[in-house]
Amino acid sequence: MPRDRRPKILVVAWREFKYTALTKAFFIGAILAPMLMLALITIMPALLNTELKPLSGAIGVIDPSGKIVPELRQELDSEQKQKTESALPDLSTFDPVARGMTGAGDQAQTIDLEIRSSRDADQLQLFKGEVRDGTLVAAVLVDPGALAESSNDDDGFKLFIPGDSAPRHTLFIEQAVKQAIIRARVSSSGDDYKAMKQLLRSPDSSVLRLSDAGGQSTESIAARMFIPLGFMMLLWISTFTSGNYLLTSTIEEKSNRVMEVLLSAVSPMQLMTGKILGQGLVCLIMTLMYGGMGLAGLLALAMFDLVPVLHLVYMAIYLVMAYFMIGTIMAAVGSAVSDLRDAQSLITPAMILLMIPLFLWFPISENPNGILATTTSYIPPLIPFVMILRVTASAEPVATWQVISSMIAGGFWVLVMLWMCGRIFRVGVLMQGKPPSPLELLKWIRYS
Amino acid sequence: MTQISAEPQPAIRLEGVCKSYGQTHAVDQLDLVVPRGSLCGFLGPNGAGKSTTIRMIMSIIYPDRGSLQVLGGTALSRKDRIGYLPEERGLYRKMKVVEFLQYIGKLKGCPRNTLRPCIDQWLQRIQLQEVAQKKCEELSKGMQQKIQFLAAVLHDPELIILDEPFSGLDPVNAALLNTIIKDLHAEGRTIIFSTHVLEQAEQLCDRIFLINKGHKLLDASMEHIQQQFDPRMIHLELLDPDSRPQVLESISCTTDVMDAQAIDAAGIEFRIDDRCDPFVLMRELVNQHDLRSIELKKFSLSEVFVQLVAPGSGINLPTRENVDAS
Repeated sequence: MPRDRRPKILVVAWREFKYTALTKAFFIGAILAPMLMLALITIMPALLNTELKPLSGAIGVIDPSGKIVPELRQELDSEQKQKTESALPDLSTFDPVARGMTGAGDQAQTIDLEIRSSRDADQLQLFKGEVRDGTLVAAVLVDPGALAESSNDDDGFKLFIPGDSAPRHTLFIEQAVKQAIIRARVSSSGDDYKAMKQLLRSPDSSVLRLSDAGGQSTESIAARMFIPLGFMMLLWISTFTSGNYLLTSTIEEKSNRVMEVLLSAVSPMQLMTGKILGQGLVCLIMTLMYGGMGLAGLLALAMFDLVPVLHLVYMAIYLVMAYFMIGTIMAAVGSAVSDLRDAQSLITPAMILLMIPLFLWFPISENPNGILATTTSYIPPLIPFVMILRVTASAEPVATWQVISSMIAGGFWVLVMLWMCGRIFRVGVLMQGKPPSPLELLKWIRYS
Repeated sequence: MTQISAEPQPAIRLEGVCKSYGQTHAVDQLDLVVPRGSLCGFLGPNGAGKSTTIRMIMSIIYPDRGSLQVLGGTALSRKDRIGYLPEERGLYRKMKVVEFLQYIGKLKGCPRNTLRPCIDQWLQRIQLQEVAQKKCEELSKGMQQKIQFLAAVLHDPELIILDEPFSGLDPVNAALLNTIIKDLHAEGRTIIFSTHVLEQAEQLCDRIFLINKGHKLLDASMEHIQQQFDPRMIHLELLDPDSRPQVLESISCTTDVMDAQAIDAAGIEFRIDDRCDPFVLMRELVNQHDLRSIELKKFSLSEVFVQLVAPGSGINLPTRENVDAS
């Protein structure tokens, strides 16, 4: 019979990919669920806005001084002019793209409030009754000492609201009354509220980081802290998820006792390489999906400039490095045990090691060129995780020689780990029964 | 199926092959030649080194020392021409039968355009055409066993290695498999067949290879083994048990008869010399005495196995060499 000469590694890789990624479980767990979550996060503000009822009706205010009601009316008028709830956090203030996404600008809430006032505290019961029957939107009882320059803690106001009042409506009225009391206090002292508000506004700031080379760059807390974290988490989640698939599929082949049948057709190295490549494709898909969602989020928030193209190139390089490092560990452990419980004892030391980058995030982001960051850039399997933190965190770029040397070190360790994994895999896949200790795994490497 | 032409090179040649695991010598200085086209029984007790040897032949593991040739080349380069049904066998539980077979077929280098028709043809031959679209986990143990066998022979191999192929099969399916193995052998394929059911090996094989503790104990054609281990023992049963002392005395005095002894209630058993024709002697005895039955004791591979593997176990079957010595 003429033989098909297509590489067997690709046949193994395709089966590995097909039975991991082209399954309902993967689609639901790894694609649909995150996409739904993202969609929910994206449309939630818009949903909230569309669901808001207009705030209209009358507020009953008992103001013994008679000075607060005019200020409240003025406050409400200014708000009604804006037709927005300025007292509330508003996503639409980020940028036009976000405004478009949330639809918040279009869905600004209508505010149409009147004030019924009285100086007589006995009116409170009447107002309360009207709040209960829906005639009033809310009732406010201002304490007599609210305008005093040094008021007690009790001096302020009480707000009575109906049982079905929306929290945002309550917050809005509460803020408006507070502002009105402040306005009245300022007016009582003979000052101009608007002028004072202008004087008290918080000044804008911009931080510029000066480099030793004489340059300067705009400092962004988000860029320095969260963008690196995002990159590292993306690397971590993608490689660990696909590494975990690799672990379970190898264990499945051992526990189903199909391993020896496979080894009659391919060499252990071909099998291992095929499996690693197949799951590598799964890793790539997950990275593209999660990374794509992250980039889409940044684009929506007009923060896409925080991720230069060079960072994406680094991400691609370190993804390959990280995947092969994690993949070889998972494949070696998977080949050595016969069920998932046994794998835990072997995978725990590796997991502790691999958790280190998560703990190193903060110190490395704080000081990307410090001793800790530099040292861990050469320790496998931390290299790709630490380096992606460094190259994306640093306003002052990591020295080129360090980037190149860490890549060479990473490549070298990938080859060493592949070789060691291959040795363990060849012995492990045929072993049944008691799982080996980490020391025995090292002995297996010596077996020819 | 293609007819395999006989070639002068042996199907398998092992020379001084050794394999150790730590301090344990699984295979030690093993020499073996399996002629092309033979149906060879590969026997040995548990832990004898059979699986290690087979795994080395399959290049799943490699020998520490010695040379190994399969189908005239290195084991690794001949994988696609070898069919292997391992003792530790299994299927992907969630995979459909046809997908599993397609996967194994592709790994074995089957041409993709003929793979599916070939699978259908084989499924029909093993009477499992209706399970093609079923998941492997839905099959009975016997069905799974047959699918595993199919995975070993699907790619039209020249050399087939079967490790306990009948385990888990009912008599009907065992007979079906038996027939298929004979057919494959008749087509000229070399088959190595490892089993603990020695009657099957005796019935199927034309050559036996026996190892124990990594050492070769026996490597010969079945014909040669039958000659070498021919018991040359006659057992008879008298119609009248009271006549036994006289008959026993008479037989003991016959030329070429040795170790005559009374067994059971009315039986006598004795060995005969190489020079004696057992059938002539038996005819004479029938004429001389009133016998209920008389038989020339048959060759038993089981007894040869026990004798070679556990010589101190109490079973001591005479060999030609023993007879000559005595």
